[in-house]
Amino acid sequence: MKKTLRQMRPVYIVGIGLHRYQRMSDTTYVTLGLTAVREALKDAAIDWKSVESAYTGTALVGMAASRPMLRHLGATGIAMAQVENASASGSTAVRQACLDVASGLTDVSLAVGVDKPGPIAGAPGKTNIHDLVGRRVVPFTHFALLANEYMNRYGATPEQVAMVAVKNNRNGANNPYAQRQKAVALEEVLAGPQISGSLTRLQCCPVGEGAAAVIIASDDAIEKLGIDRSRAIRVTASVSRSERVYRGAKNFDAELTRETVAQAYEEAQIAPQDLDVVELHDAFTIEELLYVEAMGLCGEGEGARMITSGAVDIGGKCAISASGGLLAMGHPIGPTGTGQIAEITRQLRDEAGVRQQPNARTGLAHMVGVGAVCVVHVLQKES
Amino acid sequence: MPESSPPATELFSSAEHPTLNGCRCRACGYVFFPPQSYGCEYCGATAEQLEPKSLRGTGSLASFATVHLHQGKEIEAPFTVGLIVLDDGPAVRAILTQRTDEGLKIGDGMRAVLLDTNSEGGRAHELRFAKQEAAR
Repeated sequence: MKKTLRQMRPVYIVGIGLHRYQRMSDTTYVTLGLTAVREALKDAAIDWKSVESAYTGTALVGMAASRPMLRHLGATGIAMAQVENASASGSTAVRQACLDVASGLTDVSLAVGVDKPGPIAGAPGKTNIHDLVGRRVVPFTHFALLANEYMNRYGATPEQVAMVAVKNNRNGANNPYAQRQKAVALEEVLAGPQISGSLTRLQCCPVGEGAAAVIIASDDAIEKLGIDRSRAIRVTASVSRSERVYRGAKNFDAELTRETVAQAYEEAQIAPQDLDVVELHDAFTIEELLYVEAMGLCGEGEGARMITSGAVDIGGKCAISASGGLLAMGHPIGPTGTGQIAEITRQLRDEAGVRQQPNARTGLAHMVGVGAVCVVHVLQKES
Repeated sequence: MPESSPPATELFSSAEHPTLNGCRCRACGYVFFPPQSYGCEYCGATAEQLEPKSLRGTGSLASFATVHLHQGKEIEAPFTVGLIVLDDGPAVRAILTQRTDEGLKIGDGMRAVLLDTNSEGGRAHELRFAKQEAAR
């Protein structure tokens, strides 16, 4: 019989670590990744020898990224592989580590996301299917078109859309791992430079380098290795879907998120109002409005009002992008989805300091990737 | 036997009133653009079920965005991209004849026009869209 993650044996996040997201530097991907993994091992208070499989979420580093990095922790001979799923690479690495532990193949597994900016030779460009615009439409214009359509349909203003960047940069200013650590005023966001449509530079995420790591463990491992159970956060849903043909739907991005999140709610047996913290794919401001609606956190067309009401600020009903999100924390591709899991774990442990959402017990992480794919995890603090 | 790639298909006809070369799936009726012969995205029917379907170059503007930052050589910023829902069904993204979004509004009637280009790549014509009243 088929099972959901929650119906398999419980899996927990027991260690988190990051290398700050930053502009491209001379730092090798090896140093970036090792920094995150060593911090995660230290956080879990376990040795590398206890880790039984490793998944490296990366899209740009190149073939065979894992062992040339991880061997410097001591070559223990464990299973390792790269996971490439565009922007959802790091999320998918977490999912693979969860599945290893949930199935009983391992007791402790690692997911590490790592990337450095580099030339993108994506497969979608190799299909020999051409359209009328070619490379003249890049992601920021894809989302500028959705922004214009959204504002026209619901009467939202460019200022309301830009407020997403104000909120997320305010959160990122308090995150030592964020690429952008500076609060910005609405006027600064709107001042430009203009990129595409109503989107200005600060409404587009920075793509730099960095790393994020999470360690997943079973109850047996927590027992055997003496891991602090009070800091272990259970993963209660892991859902991965790809786009269908939504005939008649205006917005395929929103539809894909809607059905992926709905499945995650069902598997975790929660409702949108149970969420205390959400990290979502806010690569561009408009996405946060589209996805809060698709996640059922508010009604259709109410996203703009919700963002500006304070309900999704830290301290509000549900803190969205408390880390700063992709807009402020950054989007180094491979690490991003793994970093979201680290942030939610920190929040549910009540260890997020000035970024802490009070009484956070349930969190959701959401990434989409070119293709298109969507990966969602639900994390819950056990009582 | 591995199949070879289908050849790149012409995307439009070079008539006075250009049409777009779409496809229709005989198995499920799905009409799509751009054309391809790998298989139907809706139902999985194979190439022999996919027939060419000419799509009229008229439709309604569903969204638009003026691109201010662009690094490619093939076009200079600013230029304006439109999302057009064709009268024959599919939604397509196209470059508009006007560089700015002045006078554009969602719901405007749009018409495909051929633009002579002197690109080094050799393509003599490019398909763009213009507001209906300006297209004549």
